[in-house]
Amino acid sequence: MILLVLILAQTVSPELAQHVNAGLAAKAAGDLDLAIREFRKVVELAPELPAAHVNLGAVYFAKQDYGSAIAPLRQALALNPELPGAHQMLGTALLARGAAAGAIPHLEKAQATDLLGIAYLEAGRPREAVDKLEAALLARPADPDLLYYLSQAHSRLAQQLFENLRANPAGAARTQQMLGEAAAAAGQSEAAAQHFRAALAARPGLRGVQLAIGELQLANANYAAAEAAFRAEASLAPASAIAAYKLGFVLAQLGQSVAAVKELKRAYELAPEMPETSLELGKALAAAGESAAAENALLRVLQLEPKSKLAETAYGQLNQVYRKLNRPADADRALKSLQELRRPAAIPPR
Amino acid sequence: MYRWFAYGLCVALLAVPGPFAFRTSTLPFVHRPSPTPQKYLPETMGGGVALLDYNLDGRLDIFLVNGGQMSAGPNRADLRRREPAYWNRLYRQEPNGAFTDVTAAAGLSSSPNFYGMGAATGDIDNDGDPDLYVTGYGGACLYRNRGNGTFELTTEAQAPGWSVSAALLDYDLDGHLDLFVARYLDWDLSRNILCGTPFNAYCRPDKFPGISNLLFHNDGHGHFRDVTADSGIGAAIGKGMGVAVNDYDQDGYPDIFVANDGMEQFLFHNERNGKFRECALEAGVALSDDARTYAGMGAAFADFDNDGRPDLAVTNLALEKYALYRNEGGHFAYVSLTSGLAALTARSSGWGVGLHDFDNNGWKDLFAAQSHVLDNVEKIQPGLRYREPPALYLNDGGRFRAANLPLAALAGRGAAFGDLDNDGTLDAVVAVLGGAPLVLRGQASQPGITLELNGKHANSDGAGAIVQAGGQTVYATTSGSYLSANDRRVHLAGSPAEVTITWPGGHRQVEKLPSTGLVRIMEKP
Repeated sequence: MILLVLILAQTVSPELAQHVNAGLAAKAAGDLDLAIREFRKVVELAPELPAAHVNLGAVYFAKQDYGSAIAPLRQALALNPELPGAHQMLGTALLARGAAAGAIPHLEKAQATDLLGIAYLEAGRPREAVDKLEAALLARPADPDLLYYLSQAHSRLAQQLFENLRANPAGAARTQQMLGEAAAAAGQSEAAAQHFRAALAARPGLRGVQLAIGELQLANANYAAAEAAFRAEASLAPASAIAAYKLGFVLAQLGQSVAAVKELKRAYELAPEMPETSLELGKALAAAGESAAAENALLRVLQLEPKSKLAETAYGQLNQVYRKLNRPADADRALKSLQELRRPAAIPPR
Repeated sequence: MYRWFAYGLCVALLAVPGPFAFRTSTLPFVHRPSPTPQKYLPETMGGGVALLDYNLDGRLDIFLVNGGQMSAGPNRADLRRREPAYWNRLYRQEPNGAFTDVTAAAGLSSSPNFYGMGAATGDIDNDGDPDLYVTGYGGACLYRNRGNGTFELTTEAQAPGWSVSAALLDYDLDGHLDLFVARYLDWDLSRNILCGTPFNAYCRPDKFPGISNLLFHNDGHGHFRDVTADSGIGAAIGKGMGVAVNDYDQDGYPDIFVANDGMEQFLFHNERNGKFRECALEAGVALSDDARTYAGMGAAFADFDNDGRPDLAVTNLALEKYALYRNEGGHFAYVSLTSGLAALTARSSGWGVGLHDFDNNGWKDLFAAQSHVLDNVEKIQPGLRYREPPALYLNDGGRFRAANLPLAALAGRGAAFGDLDNDGTLDAVVAVLGGAPLVLRGQASQPGITLELNGKHANSDGAGAIVQAGGQTVYATTSGSYLSANDRRVHLAGSPAEVTITWPGGHRQVEKLPSTGLVRIMEKP
């Protein structure tokens, strides 16, 4: 409509006005091919008019013929660099044709944050892509396309950072750590272990590596090896709640309830909001015969997660703790809660 | 007519540090599971073994359950087993400890056409000799011991579908052994599916519906009546594998535990009126300590901590940890971690299992036949192994440690326990999927004693009697483990001066014990 006003505001020939009107009518009626023919006539009659080119480009754009839209839109902007709407259309058309680098200045001009994020991503500039897509996501937090592109952007940024790390001669330990983490995520535990060992060889005190080794060992139920790794991590990072938790957990698996309680209490002090810690602490306390303290820890789990799988375990443990404490009514209540939580998975009688 | 096999030459004494060792040997039996590309589930589940003195010569004999062939015919499954390679086999123990194949002479070559799984034994007619029940896919059958070294195939206690472990117990204390049969899945060949990507593998049980177990009441006149529905057993739909019997709440009536695969375990409390109530969750034995289900396989129901109450051990798959539940007086606590068993078994997959005192130190040890269920698990989970050696975890005052026996890795399934050589030390026989069984003769440095109970008012086996001596408590039963039946006799460690027997019904009897070795005790009025 703005373009139409621009044209009609000038002194034009009746023939030109006729084609402009016919083109606009055809476009409004959805006959885009007719609109294109009419606007081509307009361009032939008034090639110096930026609005003539914009109208032709806009119809191609509406027809999703982005390749044909580019030339008239470029011509329009050459005649008037500030032409409203033209930058967004040209940027979008270029992006759609795979020319992300060329699209970026036009999308920047149009302040099209979401498209600009995608253009940055496709142009190999993931850090800027992350910034723009995060900004766009604030307005449309559940947009699946935005979420997809943002995850892609983060992934490429991570890859780019890793390549930078790999190219850095001083980054051998971290490179091996990252390769180990990637292998572990892919389920290649043997390869992961090799990378982690290499990381430690390059930098013995590197934090996080022993934790990762411990996780690998734990996944394969190699409890003694896991304990050694978690203990090393806890020594490197005494303020790490996760290291203390993991060490306590594996000590419990090894039947060392008292030692497990000590580590799990430390983990709890470091991060009291972690329900897993309270659960394992409750279990370890129960195993160590400290039923009253176990009850408190298990009730803490239920405060933090009243309906989850952790809650099921907590109720199961409470059932036993209460029976030891000779509180059958409380035990029955815990059992009932466990049964209620498990009910959806129950197999119906046949 | 009998073919003699002397295996003295292949017997080897395993030199191990410490007080306990096994002498190993085998038998000329090869279990035939007949594996197919279709990966039919029964192929990976057999077979079983029973220890019984079928000819009453005072020596335990060995019955091995074979698989069979299995193919989907045009109208129905073809499970014919006429070829001798597919027969179940009975091996008679000779005075020199060698075993002779007496299958045909004993009348056991005429196996019905079903794919064999397990066995249960007990004297169902109180005539003094053990009878035999064989389970399988496509059927099950009861053989009555004629008392002359032969068995008669009966039509009693038919179990449709896929029966696995079974147990003989006198649940109503009428003096006659009744029969409990665990069934695995509501499955047949036509409903088989292929599982696993990219490697075809045996399906997990959650791909198929469960099915109820069966209970048959022995009327004392040679007939078994199906009381599955009336008893309440039929109300619980499970995926049964191992069965073990004991009186967990010490009310004088036997209760039944069923290890279920991939779902809650079952504990059937005997309500003392012919009915059972499933109560595993409230008793604390349905789940792991994380309130998770696991792949229950074999079950052992015995007092591991010498507090006089029967505890429960359940084998399962690698990364699940064998479950050990301590009986705390009618309810149980999960003690796999604190007993040390979790750390010992977390990487193992177990089937047949027993809680018996192998080293005669007065504490029951845990023996497990082991192997993963998936024959290609090493491709799927490279950290795990398909074949595993059988394991013995020695019990030192309630905490377990590995016996470190140098046994070969094999595909262990059923396992039965008893005193093969009447020396007061327990032995084990492990059934091997697709292979020859492993016979393990215990060599303890400390003495032990084996008691043969003979009931008069109770069933003739004395099944359900509780034997107590020197701080040990043993429940008389052939049940427990997986697909298998144990020596009906009771084993005690040491040389206790006297023993107290509480017979089924509650009658107590105190007997002086002469020495180590084998002692026979008759029920007195």
